[in-house]
Amino acid sequence: MITELRPIPPSVELKAPQTAPLLTVDRLKAYYKTQLFGVDREVRAVDDVSLKINRNEIYGLAGESSSGKSSLIKTIAGAIRPPFRVVEGSVRFNFKDGERDIYKLSPQELSAIRWSHLSYIMQGSMSVLNPVRRIKHAFADFALPHVSVKGADFTRLVERHLKRVHLDPAVLQAYPHELSGGMRQRVTIALATVCSPEFIIADEPTTALDVIVQKGVLSMVREIQQELGSSVLFVTHDMAVHANLTDRLGIMYAGRLVEEGRTRDVFKKPLHPYTAHLISSLPRIGDEAPKKGLEGSPPSLADPPSGCRFHPRCPLAIDICHREAPQMVEILPGHRAACHVAQADPTRVEAVA
Amino acid sequence: MSPNLLDVENVNKIFTMGGLISRTVNHAVNDVSFSLAADKPEVFTIIGESGSGKTTLAGMILNSLAPTSGRILFQGRDLRDVRSRRDRLAFMSHVQAIFQNPFDAFNPLKRVDRYLFSAAQRFTESRTTEEAAERADEALRKVGLSLIEIRGRYPHEMSGGQLQRVAIARALVSNPSLIVADEPVSMIDASLRMTVINLFKKLRDEIGVSIIYITHDLATAYYISDRLIIMQKGKIVEGGDARTVLAAPQHPYSIKLRQAVLSVDNAWRDEPFADTIPAVVT
Ligand SMILES: Nc1ncnc2c1ncn2[C@@H]1O[C@H](COP(=O)(O)OP(=O)(O)OP(=O)(O)O)[C@@H](O)[C@H]1O
Ligand SMILES: Nc1ncnc2c1ncn2[C@@H]1O[C@H](COP(=O)(O)OP(=O)(O)OP(=O)(O)O)[C@@H](O)[C@H]1O
Ligand code: SF4
Ligand SMILES: [Mg+2]
Ligand SMILES: [Mg+2]
Repeated sequence: MITELRPIPPSVELKAPQTAPLLTVDRLKAYYKTQLFGVDREVRAVDDVSLKINRNEIYGLAGESSSGKSSLIKTIAGAIRPPFRVVEGSVRFNFKDGERDIYKLSPQELSAIRWSHLSYIMQGSMSVLNPVRRIKHAFADFALPHVSVKGADFTRLVERHLKRVHLDPAVLQAYPHELSGGMRQRVTIALATVCSPEFIIADEPTTALDVIVQKGVLSMVREIQQELGSSVLFVTHDMAVHANLTDRLGIMYAGRLVEEGRTRDVFKKPLHPYTAHLISSLPRIGDEAPKKGLEGSPPSLADPPSGCRFHPRCPLAIDICHREAPQMVEILPGHRAACHVAQADPTRVEAVA
Repeated sequence: MSPNLLDVENVNKIFTMGGLISRTVNHAVNDVSFSLAADKPEVFTIIGESGSGKTTLAGMILNSLAPTSGRILFQGRDLRDVRSRRDRLAFMSHVQAIFQNPFDAFNPLKRVDRYLFSAAQRFTESRTTEEAAERADEALRKVGLSLIEIRGRYPHEMSGGQLQRVAIARALVSNPSLIVADEPVSMIDASLRMTVINLFKKLRDEIGVSIIYITHDLATAYYISDRLIIMQKGKIVEGGDARTVLAAPQHPYSIKLRQAVLSVDNAWRDEPFADTIPAVVT
């Protein structure tokens, strides 16, 4: 079933943006407001995040578990439901056929851009496949309305596309439970890319794949991206995937974007102590050295630490860190970080790595 | 001689179900055998192709799926004889599972803390709700969570990694002797991943828990495993000491797998994806 793999072209130089960014997220705040046992609770999952994604680039997002990556992505995709809501800020797309401000669109306008302009692969989305419907129905429901071909041509298009993610077209006849975790994950990737959207958002799309299939799927993602000049926002905890696939990388911690730069720069010279730790904790085949996770527990987003949210766990924390939240500042060209110490002296951070 | 902790003997699973499968009989697990010794706790890792039968094999070890042929013994007892409610409960307190994809593993309409409370009530001495809550909190703290944080929440109100950690905590509540962990760290960050992996190590070394670790992550497999098998199309194609196998795989599929591993170190060479065998550091 596995066909030969095309190598992924290296993502070395950051492509200079020819036009305005495809996506502009500006000072975005989005919170979950819930009531628990009669007590109001506000989870500030996305807290003042600004970022831009250019046309024709793959932007990676990594960071702590529960730091708000999926929440950020939901707000970008316009896929939010109460109790989650946008409190402040904006999400604007500059599509080929015009600008869209996600939070000024009507529900009809929003669903019109789904799949064709913007597609969103949700985390754990294998479970959104309807368990009692065959896979072919999922394609008919989601993709058929957005492509120009119909009938047998549509089936051929889908079958050809399934082969690109190393799936036998026979899966179209299967029910979701008859497929392995990795097969279901590839079905959802195929669903999200079959309409050739301008902007692809993928939340942990390859966690269930073996490394051979994963490599094939990643090279397909890059191929589609380059063919169409589209942009991809790719969330994963797999740092090796970021290193090999993404052009730029953002790191989140406790609801905030804490570092962003060219992927290579972030790996070679992390400017935020959290990033430095993340990179140094990666195990490697052949490396026997013990690796440690961060001490202390992840912060609660309902009651985040004062000042810099990383300060209770940061080996470099100084006085001001307890009081003042650091802002994202461009410290090196194209490389931003929110850290008081790095802003004063970027060489200090390497020490913890 | 006392019996092994686990014996998997010539196990096969053939699916002959409707739809896709009706036309082609699917031999999901094909003549798989291995044993885990009772007196030598270990991390036994299963890696392999997507769809090669790893989860199916795990299901049979957990006695939730019956082998088509062959047999599985837990502490010398054929799982086919573990039938009565009492036997099943006893078996479950010894053998715990962490399922692949936490989004599938939890009922969306059930609060996640309930899973921990019922595990505590079924498998520990806890008689009161307070005791059960205490056991639950203990287990949660081992994976960087706490009861306060997750109390009253439904699965959709939690992040992927939080859910995955609740699944791990639930498996820890009963103090099992065997944990079958299907992709337990795929959705958590690299730092917490090491916390959990080190926790597995500690369970093995200090409490004598054996762990069957199913993963696609060869780097953590290298870090933590004692022995390892590689599966393809339902069969074990290679197995042995984990570090030896990963450092110098012999079977063509294992070699291909090893070559496909993406690494941070060679990401920015001129041709990071050239399909050459990366130099193995030993
Ligand atoms: N519906 C909800 N109601 C209340 N809180 C929620 C809800 N959904 C998510 N949260 C909380 O918001 C925070 C951020 O969650 P999010 O899913 O965005 O994290 P993440 O960075 O994607 O994590 P992971 O890497 O583990 O998937 C978490 O603390 C989570 O518990
Ligand atoms: N309930 C079922 N009915 C029919 N076929 C099934 C069923 N469960 C699994 N299969 C098939 O058995 C094979 C093995 O699936 P399994 O889930 O065990 O693979 P896996 O090794 O866990 O894969 P992954 O790494 O993708 O999770 C697959 O071909 C799958 O389609
Ligand atoms: S601002 Fe202070 S506490 Fe925060 S990461 Fe930088 S040094 Fe550490
Ligand atoms: Mg997430
Ligand atoms: Mg599986």
